[in-house]
Amino acid sequence: MAEYQAPLRDMRFVLNEVFEANKLWASLAGTRDTVDPETAEAILEEAGKITASLIAPLSRNGDEEGCSWHSAGVKTPKGYKEAYKTFIEGGWCGLSGNANYEGMGMPKMLAAQFEEMLYSSDISFGLYICLTSGACLAIDAHASEELKQKYLPKMYSGEWSGAMDLTEPHSGTDLGMIRTKAVENGDGSYSITGTKIFITGGEQDLSENIIHLVLAKLPGAPAGSRGISLFLVPRNCVDENNVVGENNKVTCGSIEHKMGIKASATCVMNYDGAQGWLVGEVNKGLAAMFTMMNYERLSVGVQGFAAAERSYQNAVEYAKDRIQGRSPAGVVAPSKEADPIIVHPDVRRMLMTMRAYTEGSRAFSTYVASYLDRAKFSDNAEEKAQADAMVALLTPIAKAYMTDRALDSCVAGQQVFGGHGFIREWGQEQLVRDTRITQIYEGTNGIQALDLMGRKIVANNGKLYELFVKEVSDFIEANSDNSAIKPYLESLAATIERLSDVTESVIKAAASDPHAIGAASVDYLELFGLTCYAYVWARMAKVAAEKVAGDSSGFYDAKIKTAKFFFNRLLPKTVSLSESIKSGSADMMSLDEACF
Amino acid sequence: MPEYKAPLREISFVMKELLESEKHYASFPAGADATPDMVDMLIAEGGKFCEEVIAPLNKVGDEEGCTLGADGVVKTPTGFKEAYQQFVEGGWPTLSADVNYGGQGLPESLNIVMSEMVGTANWSWGMYPGLSHGAVNTIHEYGTPEQKETYLTKLVSGEWTGTMCLTEPHCGSDLGTLRTKAEPNADGSYSITGTKIFISAGDHDMVDNIVHIVLARLPDAPQGTKGISLFIVPRNSLNDDGSVGANNSVSCGSLEHKMGIHGNSTCVMNFDGAKGWLIGPENKGLNCMFTFMNTARIGTALQGLGAAEGSFQGSLVYAKDRLAMRSLTGVKNPDGPADPIIVHPDVRRMLLTQKAIAEGARAMCYFAAQHADLVHHAESEEQRKTSDDMLGFLTPILKAFITEVGYEAANHGMQVFGGHGFISEWGMEQIVRDTRIALMYEGTTGIQALDLLGRKVLMTQGASLKQFTKLVHVFCKENEGNEEMKQFVEPLLELNKEWGDLTMKIGMAAMKDRDEVGSASVDYLMYSGYVSMAYFWARMALLAQQKLAAGTTETGFYTAKVQTAQFYFKRILPRTKAHAAMMVAGSDSVMAMDEANFIF
Repeated sequence: MAEYQAPLRDMRFVLNEVFEANKLWASLAGTRDTVDPETAEAILEEAGKITASLIAPLSRNGDEEGCSWHSAGVKTPKGYKEAYKTFIEGGWCGLSGNANYEGMGMPKMLAAQFEEMLYSSDISFGLYICLTSGACLAIDAHASEELKQKYLPKMYSGEWSGAMDLTEPHSGTDLGMIRTKAVENGDGSYSITGTKIFITGGEQDLSENIIHLVLAKLPGAPAGSRGISLFLVPRNCVDENNVVGENNKVTCGSIEHKMGIKASATCVMNYDGAQGWLVGEVNKGLAAMFTMMNYERLSVGVQGFAAAERSYQNAVEYAKDRIQGRSPAGVVAPSKEADPIIVHPDVRRMLMTMRAYTEGSRAFSTYVASYLDRAKFSDNAEEKAQADAMVALLTPIAKAYMTDRALDSCVAGQQVFGGHGFIREWGQEQLVRDTRITQIYEGTNGIQALDLMGRKIVANNGKLYELFVKEVSDFIEANSDNSAIKPYLESLAATIERLSDVTESVIKAAASDPHAIGAASVDYLELFGLTCYAYVWARMAKVAAEKVAGDSSGFYDAKIKTAKFFFNRLLPKTVSLSESIKSGSADMMSLDEACF
Repeated sequence: MPEYKAPLREISFVMKELLESEKHYASFPAGADATPDMVDMLIAEGGKFCEEVIAPLNKVGDEEGCTLGADGVVKTPTGFKEAYQQFVEGGWPTLSADVNYGGQGLPESLNIVMSEMVGTANWSWGMYPGLSHGAVNTIHEYGTPEQKETYLTKLVSGEWTGTMCLTEPHCGSDLGTLRTKAEPNADGSYSITGTKIFISAGDHDMVDNIVHIVLARLPDAPQGTKGISLFIVPRNSLNDDGSVGANNSVSCGSLEHKMGIHGNSTCVMNFDGAKGWLIGPENKGLNCMFTFMNTARIGTALQGLGAAEGSFQGSLVYAKDRLAMRSLTGVKNPDGPADPIIVHPDVRRMLLTQKAIAEGARAMCYFAAQHADLVHHAESEEQRKTSDDMLGFLTPILKAFITEVGYEAANHGMQVFGGHGFISEWGMEQIVRDTRIALMYEGTTGIQALDLLGRKVLMTQGASLKQFTKLVHVFCKENEGNEEMKQFVEPLLELNKEWGDLTMKIGMAAMKDRDEVGSASVDYLMYSGYVSMAYFWARMALLAQQKLAAGTTETGFYTAKVQTAQFYFKRILPRTKAHAAMMVAGSDSVMAMDEANFIF
């Protein structure tokens, strides 16, 4: 396995050169005083170092050893505890936390790069950190001042960690059916009883306390998703001086045996009358969760391509090192008994595919993060509203499209290794196994597609969609005389047209066919994802074309070639997808259930 | 863990109705014993054995894996050995083997049906008897009468198993660089020294002896692939009376830790001056191997088929059982808190994709299997040659395309389970892990694609492609006037023509640019796979329509066939469009990047 190297050059390119983050941050009320170019650069540098040197070395053994359940608690693999301690001392847990509660207040555009490095080095380890950030977001947005003051500083410091408790054995996608109960105690607190499953980081030996955000139903709550409330339930009681006391009747019943992310504890959590506090309003628990969902979903998308980046780095090293066969164009390494496999066109096709997706993902996630930052930090109501709309539209794509392409990339990275890709010690198969869950949790990619197609497109008659089209069209228009990127812009324009055509036809079909949305959704999301990537690749190509002359590093030249590969070898899939979508729902629904 | 049910109705649909097995077996003497009754009995019994004996061991095999003891003996998971014993007692290894060496002499195509069922039930287990085929074929084809007498009968009966030892640490796809040495001994035998890796079933505790076919170099052999010879190397020497003697300096150095197929031992094999015997002509070892590579690769294609079938069975049960949300056309399960997830279009999309892949793949594999029968048994030289060409053309498509789409299907199966798909106890993630290797071993997808486009298609000036596209063309023309078939025939005819056009285009470009083939090959292979599967789906649709028109009690079954064909044509076949565009994008798209610029 190659040593992980944080792709800082590309991160700087995306942040500073393509999306001009510093300009944006300087323009936003909430970031103007907290982040400047020097701070951002220092954070990138340090994050690159600590992830590569402290965390990346844990990942192989973490996979082999896994977590283990003991009656006293869950034990994480060797080295995790020490690494966690060092890591939180660096203050990384509070990177994007609210500065009023001792967070660092950094924007998401920057935090997304940090998360990428964290996940590239080890998804399992990263999950412990990122679940805490997610819980903090929900607490910060919805909890009472008292709860915030009590919990946020400890969570930003990493002394206490967070977990999100949604799923129950019989209800995952359909949370309306949950059964966990909350009963008022009379002192403002609630007594929580029930069983939750698939709780990532639900129990571990890294932090002093674990703060669970639990979805539960109050007596007499309306049935379905409108009767769910959110509660903060610490594993251990915390007294008025913030001293951690005895167990709060929160226990881990067992941990799951799973395909991957083995060093991350996936817990069954039992609540036996645990004391909890309401977060947000009664029966508005799901809505409260959704405010942090956009951040979480982007984060899961980042998880995906972070693993793909790691797989790419390994695959490139292997392809340069492994010798096998001769180049079809003539011997390249005459002193060796064969040429390195990177000379073979098909090996390059795999590497280029990985690269085009991964760099496209990095750019796209940074782009989506820029809207999250506008939505959160702007004091201009119009800008905020527009950003919220873009976030709503793009989030399902960020989660599902990035993770789908990430799995493809990790599988390609495994394939480059031939039979060795199947062997554990090389690490490539672990990346496939670790990444596979990203297509499932935080709402399966099928659910993301329904969210996009149903709620974000059809429900508002394409209003959000128009925003996106306008932005892309403006870009094409503004660069119409740029001959360097002309072929890309033409291709982008044709892709947008294709997407618009399909969008219109599904909106129309949905008016009379209730299955139209579900029949189109997954292919539609992929088509939309490709279009988004075409857009960010065109933007990257534009910047690279401006700078390529006189650049001796090869960076901009490589960028242009990768853009070209994307447009010529990956984007054509849009033709297949639009045809498949337009075939409608009949072929999916006609088969009688009994005849499967 | 999904419970395996041998898909007997599906198997008989493809074998008997679509491919008219009765007629097929009657067309050559060796098929005479494969009477309809015999075939039915074999498949029913085989299915039962797979369901009851082999399938239940699949999970324990994954969890326990194989272990290498301090005594150097590889221990297989609990129950594997006993199941193998039953398999041997049932005579299953002898099915299609030569009657002269204790085989039943039945056609290879029957063995392929059995292999599908065994492989779907438990791929890891199936590899132990499966790997013997290479050794059996090699010895049968090239062995001396004495070698056949000594080894073949034992391998055929299943008393011993065999392996093929090709790969070495530094060479897999490029066998020309292999280093294992064979030094002649005075007694006509050879002393074999070297290390082989990735040897499936290289050592295990199910049998008394293991017969390795080892690729090695003679002293002064020419460099590269033209200097490789084959040797028979038994793990244990044989005493004069034929009984198994002491170890022949053949040992398992270690076992690989892998992503999947944990129940199968993947061995590093050390040969330390082991005694071996040359088989086949000197330095022609690779050529010898290639004569039966086709059947081995169909065997691997079955892993893709099995993955699609097995994961489909698992996810279908779950989709009918698991309740979440309500159908958008109204409540379907008013007594429950939610509807079963099979009501949701997107869940159906995944199920139908699995179904279309499994059933389409079965038709493709069984079709090829009939040609494998004819290669060996057809009476006319012409038919043998035609079948050999057809098989040569289809083999890389089957091996690579079916394992690629089978892997996709396995992932859909896991996805239908949501978060539970990631959890080991449900068994769905095991199918994904087990199947992943199919895209790599027996020649990776990339190697198959080079074989297809380079050797099979372009080197024959497109003749092998034409042989297949002609079949498709004739089928389309025959059904041109059939109104109900229009939905299939029209797109198929168009693709069939485009297939030739694209081939021509790449061929022209390849004359000027030697990187062109490798740049186009995988897209070309996937395109070829989708079009050939479309041909078989169109044939299945036609047959089903005919049955429905003639009146049948199985209306549901045949209607499902037509609907699945429609799904395939409307929702999967459009993928050809993307591959068509990608394959002609030119080699510059992949070759332009400076090697130094892959990472900054």
